[in-house]
Amino acid sequence: MRAKAQAPRRHSMVWLQGLGCGAVVALVPAMALLLGVLLLPGVLAVLYDRQGGRPVARTVLLCGTAATVAPILALWSAGNSMDACMVLLGDLRVVGTAWSTAAAGWILAELAPVAVLVVLEAITQARAARLRAARERLVAEWGFDDT
Amino acid sequence: MANPSEALIADRYAVLLAQPLPDAGGGLPAFAAKDRQTGDAALIAIQVRRDMPPRARALQMLTGPIEGVLAPLAHGPAPGLRNEPGYFVVCPAPPGPPLAGRLRPWPEAALIAHALRPLALALDRLAARNVTHRGIRLNNVFEGQRGQPLVLGAAWAAPPAMHQPTLFEPPYSAMCHPAGRGDGGIADDVYALGVLLVALALGRLPLAELDDTAILRRKLEQGSHGALAGDERMPPFIADLVRGMLAEDPEHRPTPKLLLDPAVARSRRVAARPPRKAQRALPIGEIVVWDARTLAYALAAEPEHGTSALRGGAAVQWLRRGLGDAALAARVDDLIRLRLSDPSTEESRSDAIMLMRAVATIDPLAPLCWHGIALWPDGLGPLLAAGAGEQGSTGTLEDLVGVEGAAGWGVLRTERCDFGALRQETRQNRASLGTRGIAGGLPRLTYLLNPLLPCGSPLVADRWVGRLADLPAAIEAAVAANPKVVPLDAHVAAFIAAHGDSRLEADTNALSGTVQNPFGLPELRLLVQLQLRFHPRPLPALAAWVVGASAPMVALWCNRPHRQELADRLRPLAQAGMLPAMLALLEDPAGRNADASGARLAAAELSGIEAELRGIVAGAGERRDIAARIGQEIAAGVGLTALATMLALAVLG
Repeated sequence: MRAKAQAPRRHSMVWLQGLGCGAVVALVPAMALLLGVLLLPGVLAVLYDRQGGRPVARTVLLCGTAATVAPILALWSAGNSMDACMVLLGDLRVVGTAWSTAAAGWILAELAPVAVLVVLEAITQARAARLRAARERLVAEWGFDDT
Repeated sequence: MANPSEALIADRYAVLLAQPLPDAGGGLPAFAAKDRQTGDAALIAIQVRRDMPPRARALQMLTGPIEGVLAPLAHGPAPGLRNEPGYFVVCPAPPGPPLAGRLRPWPEAALIAHALRPLALALDRLAARNVTHRGIRLNNVFEGQRGQPLVLGAAWAAPPAMHQPTLFEPPYSAMCHPAGRGDGGIADDVYALGVLLVALALGRLPLAELDDTAILRRKLEQGSHGALAGDERMPPFIADLVRGMLAEDPEHRPTPKLLLDPAVARSRRVAARPPRKAQRALPIGEIVVWDARTLAYALAAEPEHGTSALRGGAAVQWLRRGLGDAALAARVDDLIRLRLSDPSTEESRSDAIMLMRAVATIDPLAPLCWHGIALWPDGLGPLLAAGAGEQGSTGTLEDLVGVEGAAGWGVLRTERCDFGALRQETRQNRASLGTRGIAGGLPRLTYLLNPLLPCGSPLVADRWVGRLADLPAAIEAAVAANPKVVPLDAHVAAFIAAHGDSRLEADTNALSGTVQNPFGLPELRLLVQLQLRFHPRPLPALAAWVVGASAPMVALWCNRPHRQELADRLRPLAQAGMLPAMLALLEDPAGRNADASGARLAAAELSGIEAELRGIVAGAGERRDIAARIGQEIAAGVGLTALATMLALAVLG
């Protein structure tokens, strides 16, 4: 029952996204093609990221989107035509930059938790060392192990 | 002048060990003695055996010379012949040799003038001081020149009547353990005097051909007079006197005062009935019983066979049919039924109680008989002292005290004893015996009942420690000689408890030493009290020993640096030999409170630390989750920042 109750919400979001995508494809097909190619890593990340809230996909998409801003402006300036879109897509720097940025986002999403964990463990171990020293001092002073 | 190194008794009497007097002590070792103050050399010192304490009450009551008796002048410790620790009772020297070596028939007039009257007068003087002699025998009665009155020897250096031959003792005293005969009454001295008169009248000892057991049996079966003088030819006057003096019932014997007038004493008739004989004999063990008195004796002397005879009904049947005493048989039968109807108590103990009651019922004159030991209740102390090394004997006596046997015996013969006093004394004895801890039990009771018994601890075996004042120095010497010994053992503790006041008694009751940890603060407190009260001089060896054994006391402190500090401060105090300062350092109530508070705080802190460390170990997974979440947020933030930057750049152109 609960699964059935949640299912319509998810389907409505999918339909809403599908509706948005369909509108973009229908109204500005060149823009849709450019976005589809440049944001392909982000779309793949969304598909493969099974964590709650899709944190990796989120970072990949954000980084990929940041790299997509300039090509979109260029396509818009070129009249939003399919030719201009193909010229941009034919430029390896444009596609490479977008995909490299997405890859950087993926690496960042993977490495940041590790880095934070290292920092946290270092802080914890320092605290534990101070506690052990205090314990040894108390035992030495009061001889709890004897009595 | 006294030699400064000479051991003097009561600071004035010197024992001349080079001059032994084998005949002067009535069988005990005796030596010449000299009064260093007056120069009087007509003195003797009688040596006391370590396990046979002198008669404290008699020594206390007889403070001055008494005509006709070698009364004690002083008593105290002094080295013995082989320089062993000894104890001596100083008395005037006897006027001549004892009668034992020069026994001859005495004429009647001499008997009355030189034996009966002076000895009765001496007994009367003793009776006036509420003291009995209990040592009237041939080797302890002395004769100076012929025609001079006889003199009673000293009878104070051993338990009462301990060295009396069976012949000179009433049968009910003779059947007791020699150490358990008790002070008795002056009538017992009159009895011994009667036997002495018989011996002097005859010029020989009666029944000399019989051993002690046979003499006792004959006295019981025939009566003392019949056994000793029945077949003898004696002057009629003496025979009549002796008949009364040898009466079985002490109340029937003439008093010493009455004997001062022999004619009156002779005229006093004793209604002594011969014991009723049975038609047939009753064998109890090896004793063949023909009369009730012998039955009581047989039950006492052969407890196992006696118990069988009682429980099997043979004794009751014999009393009823053989002896024809139905009333006595009914009383004994009641006792047996009472025993058989009470299966709750321990078997052997119940049988012993039944046997004791049966003996007292059958013969009210008989002593207390318990598990084959016969004694008078006031002889319990010396008996405990004499039997201290005998496991079986002490166990039996412990049992007797534990069940308040003396009170149970006394209640059956209330007209012949002060039952109230006996019951109170019995309860006190049981309470002393039941005291817990190393200072309780039989040693404590033994020392309580024998005020002059020296401390029997192996620690002080090379000294005669009879007073608490002698104990600290003796312990100091023992520890100095062997630092491995523990300066407080059960004997020392019991000795202190018995001789000390209520404060010392409380300290000894608080002793808590164990085999693993024999010395602690309670033991040190006791030693401190001893030093403060009796030996206010340094005890360096003992103090050094205490330092060596102080680990458990120091360990009572929780703070380790303070422990080390204590150990460091104890050493110089030990060199001074003063235990009170050491105790103050180790005890220190304020310091101990602060120490305990600190320990509690530290324990709480330690507990918090342990909990936090456990939390750190258990929190690894949580930390990983937190790190992942924060890392992802950071990554998302970086991506969002990049997007925002690009959009801003696009807008700004």
